Amino acid sequence: MRDVLHTLREARPAEFDPDVPVDDGVRRAELARAMAGAQAAPERRRVRRVRPVWGLSLAGAVAAGAIVAATVVTTGGNPSGGTPRAGGAEPVLDARTVLLAAAEKADGQTETMRAYWHQVTISSHTYPVRTDRYAMTVRDRAESWTPSKPGVKAWGLQQNLGAKPATPQDEAAWRRAGSPAKFELEVPVLHKAGTAKARSKTLPARTAPGRPEVNSAALVDGDKVFWLGRNVTMRDLRSLPSDPKRLKAELLRWYKGHGTESGAPMPADQWLYEVAHGLVLDMPVQPRVRAAAFRMLAGLPAVKSVGKVKDPQGRPGVAIAMDEKTQAGVIRHRMILDLSTGTALAGENIMLVPAAGTKIPAGRTMDATVTVTSEWTNSHPG
Amino acid sequence: MAGVTPDEQRFTAIYDECRQRVWAYAAARAGRQVADEVVSETFAIAWRRFADVPEPALPWLLGVARNVLRDGHRAEKRRESFTAELGRSARRSAGDIAEDVAERLAVLRAMATLPESDREILILIAWQGLTPREAAKVVRCSPAALRVRLHRARRRLLRAAEQEAGGRTARAGGRPQVGIINEEMS
Repeated sequence: MRDVLHTLREARPAEFDPDVPVDDGVRRAELARAMAGAQAAPERRRVRRVRPVWGLSLAGAVAAGAIVAATVVTTGGNPSGGTPRAGGAEPVLDARTVLLAAAEKADGQTETMRAYWHQVTISSHTYPVRTDRYAMTVRDRAESWTPSKPGVKAWGLQQNLGAKPATPQDEAAWRRAGSPAKFELEVPVLHKAGTAKARSKTLPARTAPGRPEVNSAALVDGDKVFWLGRNVTMRDLRSLPSDPKRLKAELLRWYKGHGTESGAPMPADQWLYEVAHGLVLDMPVQPRVRAAAFRMLAGLPAVKSVGKVKDPQGRPGVAIAMDEKTQAGVIRHRMILDLSTGTALAGENIMLVPAAGTKIPAGRTMDATVTVTSEWTNSHPG
Repeated sequence: MAGVTPDEQRFTAIYDECRQRVWAYAAARAGRQVADEVVSETFAIAWRRFADVPEPALPWLLGVARNVLRDGHRAEKRRESFTAELGRSARRSAGDIAEDVAERLAVLRAMATLPESDREILILIAWQGLTPREAAKVVRCSPAALRVRLHRARRRLLRAAEQEAGGRTARAGGRPQVGIINEEMS
């Protein structure tokens, strides 16, 4: 008998091969299940955004690593584009006016709280294929039911909607490549905070949508529903002040001089913008608190007005934005508002000025999340 | 703003790198059904104790999976599962009469007869491709001790495989004889 270890290696049953790919559905379910638990908190733990797992846009999880999340502004081609027309017919309202108008509308709204805060979002991430010839946008739909009472399970429903070429130019390149139904995308990975070595991972993707998956999980600590500078309960959210100054002070209590997603320093205004973005787009706050958040944003000098745009679902709105200088380049964080209802429609991250060495072209919408539905309901999918 | 924290990113990267390895390790030791549970539990623990997860994460994760296996699944069950897994792959290659196939089958059958502590080392080294140093981290012993254990396991495997290869012709493909040898539990 030859070397027995060698024979043993060759005798390994194929299913024990550690390099076989994991089924995408299994991967999502296992990741969601693992991250459903709370993290033990040794002191000095970094701030963690507890988007409870079901809300963790799984696209996000897939794209995990897509830290350099940003988006494309659009010049040419992209119908959802949103650069104000230079010298165009319509004047662009300034950010303050836009935000105060949104606040006015939000103020006049009423709501009835029910058993679950139900949201439907569609998120998208754009990545180049490995061969670098074109970029594809992967889209995921996520539905979540967040309980209004502690101790109740949250529900989620996720579906991968499939990938499609990012722009008409990408579509042409994709067709030239034979319109493949499956491809490997290159997802940038920022390693650990601090060791910013550029790496990338391969994300297998296909044009065909996946199957929807329902899941449920206990709330973090049994009662935390969202992250608002810290993990908050539904009660915390419902008792936020509706005075913009007091709201700002309340939020800033959790600002420690660094970013929401890492330990890197971040100016207070930027931090407030990010936190308020989550508040107006995702969270079941009272309408007058949403109004207060808009008024608070109206008072931040770095917030600028972008003008009329369409969100990735094609719905018209007006956009405000804040630009952030990152390692990858200057990224525009854009928020699209519907002034007729005083609600936020979508958030987008757009690469404005790529840093040297960054592969993301100027103008690309790196990622976007659209809120399709936000409502109180008494039913869940279980 | 996409809602993915650095922890979630790093965790997902670790999952992508290691998940199938943890699964294969658990499946080889205790069968595929148990493997799914072990993977689930292992990564839940990894998330909970994320601050403790070293770089590289694989040996640490395999160590956790090993504890999960030890705590949750009886040794006897594990052996049965291994034999069952073996049956599956043996059936699949039945009909192929090439010499090296016979040899591989003999080695697989021999694996089923080994003490679990031997089998574990062999799985880590031959099937997972770990270095002795990495394997030592998984089973929590010194690299030197690991080398000694590997040496012994390999010797016992060879002996058992030769027996299987010889005995097999006589028994004409009968089930492997599963001799119970003292289970060394750590």
